[in-house]
Amino acid sequence: MLEGKLVRLRAQEMGDLERDHAWINDREVTRYLAARYPISLVDEERWLSGRPPSSGSNGLRLAIDTKDGRHIGNIDLLPGNPDDRCVALGVMVGDKEYWSRGYGTDAMITLLRFGFSQMNLNRIWLHVFEHNERAIACYKKCGFQVEGRLRHHRYQEGRYSDVIEMGVLRDEFAASHGLAAPKEGGP
Amino acid sequence: MLDGQLVRLRAIEPGDRERAHAWLDDPEVTYYLTMRYPLASADPMWLADAQPASFANGVYLAVETKDGTHIGAINLHELNPEDRKAGLGIIIGDKACWSNGYGLDAIATLLRFAFHEMNLHRVWLSVLAGHEAAIRCYEKCGFRHESRRRQQVFKHGRYWDVLIMSILRDEFDAPHVAPSPERGT
Amino acid sequence: MLEGKLVRLRSLEPSDVEREYAWANDLEVTHYLSMRYPFSRADEESWLRGGPPNSFNQVRLGIETKAGLHIGNIGLYTANAEERHAELWILIGDKAYWSKGYGADAIVTLLRFAFHDMNLNRVYLYAQEANARAIACYRTCGFVEEGRLRQHRFRHGRYWDVLFMGVLRDEFDALHGGPS
Repeated sequence: MLEGKLVRLRAQEMGDLERDHAWINDREVTRYLAARYPISLVDEERWLSGRPPSSGSNGLRLAIDTKDGRHIGNIDLLPGNPDDRCVALGVMVGDKEYWSRGYGTDAMITLLRFGFSQMNLNRIWLHVFEHNERAIACYKKCGFQVEGRLRHHRYQEGRYSDVIEMGVLRDEFAASHGLAAPKEGGP
Repeated sequence: MLDGQLVRLRAIEPGDRERAHAWLDDPEVTYYLTMRYPLASADPMWLADAQPASFANGVYLAVETKDGTHIGAINLHELNPEDRKAGLGIIIGDKACWSNGYGLDAIATLLRFAFHEMNLHRVWLSVLAGHEAAIRCYEKCGFRHESRRRQQVFKHGRYWDVLIMSILRDEFDAPHVAPSPERGT
Repeated sequence: MLEGKLVRLRSLEPSDVEREYAWANDLEVTHYLSMRYPFSRADEESWLRGGPPNSFNQVRLGIETKAGLHIGNIGLYTANAEERHAELWILIGDKAYWSKGYGADAIVTLLRFAFHDMNLNRVYLYAQEANARAIACYRTCGFVEEGRLRQHRFRHGRYWDVLFMGVLRDEFDALHGGPS
């Protein structure tokens, strides 16, 4: 369990299946994700049960819970290359009631701190679609810098759009957010 | 078989393995590549183990000169049918053929195939910042700089940035970027 | 989940088996289709469980009314990445929903996905010549007749011609609206 200020990150459980399935089939949610096709409950179940336990080489797939235990989304670190100490991050707040209220940002900061201070990573990076301005603002708050723009990297809703690459380095995160976990009930 | 001006791109054959292994075992060849551990000759390597080329398998081809000397390999990987994009990778293993326009011709030939036969929209590649000869070659082929992934790779005792470059179908078709080996490299 | 005006397209689930079984064995439903042999529940179950997840290679979806009633299936197969075309098929199994626009809405919804999300350039289908209701519906959706495959199907004691129909991305956009 990783404690943030607003959220807790915990390992995913089979009990999360119905919610995951609803979110991944919600086009409002997936218009910001790589997911494109409707996914059946059986396929989602197969995927969830086939997932290896979290580790540096397997990657992390965690559920985002509010402090009162409501599951609102998921956050991942993808399997990375240990030599480069660099991994990619993916996040989804599936429960739309919790959009734009700081929960995603808190989940990100919590996982970034874990990645840098517990997994000894040097760099964490991500892809975000150009039209996802809400997310880009959130990632900047977390310390990510825009590193590039992949032109026409994504086809969606009848047109090509660009994908923005963002990255944050351990030193930058340590300077802006600190590597030590905040005290319980902190600011 | 895809015919360029200086090179031909042909399917990979079992007989390519020995040369491929010698190249990948040469620190000068792999200096700027992301591979880092010594490879046994029987280990899987894309230069020697290709599946038949297709959208699903990717396109992995041997590069040979017009007189039939095998000098390297080139590929399109991570093909995505919806986004109509692919990543490009190339190794010219025969060092005598460096800086003679073979790589450029191989890339131009594969790009033509990617855009005009496979109906792709975008081809991208990644290259270690510092690999100046390769970057110049990609620029000549019409690739544009898009992204700098800071400290993405650790090699030779330090972190290196990785550059992402790409070319779109329209840019490839525009005559002013159409590469020709006569223009050098 | 793909939202149309009258219907929703969702993934098929093993729990759909009873309806699939009833439709596949309803001679009125299969009258104009190539399905001709009796199907067992086990056949239907393996069809439902057997497929890989939806992807470029194959899309199989259930058609639901907005009230959540499963009335048929629709899909795309043999999508070709280089040619950027795919074949569409549809079945409205619940006969109470025939001729009411549900099939057309399902087709338009799937075509929009095919053109605007899968980046296809062309979608085609085969229609038995005597299936006038379906052919009219396909025309409404934008399909045009491109060819006639003579005596392409044998059913009900004789050969039938099959119409080959297709719709292009530009035509679809002109008829139903391009990307917003």
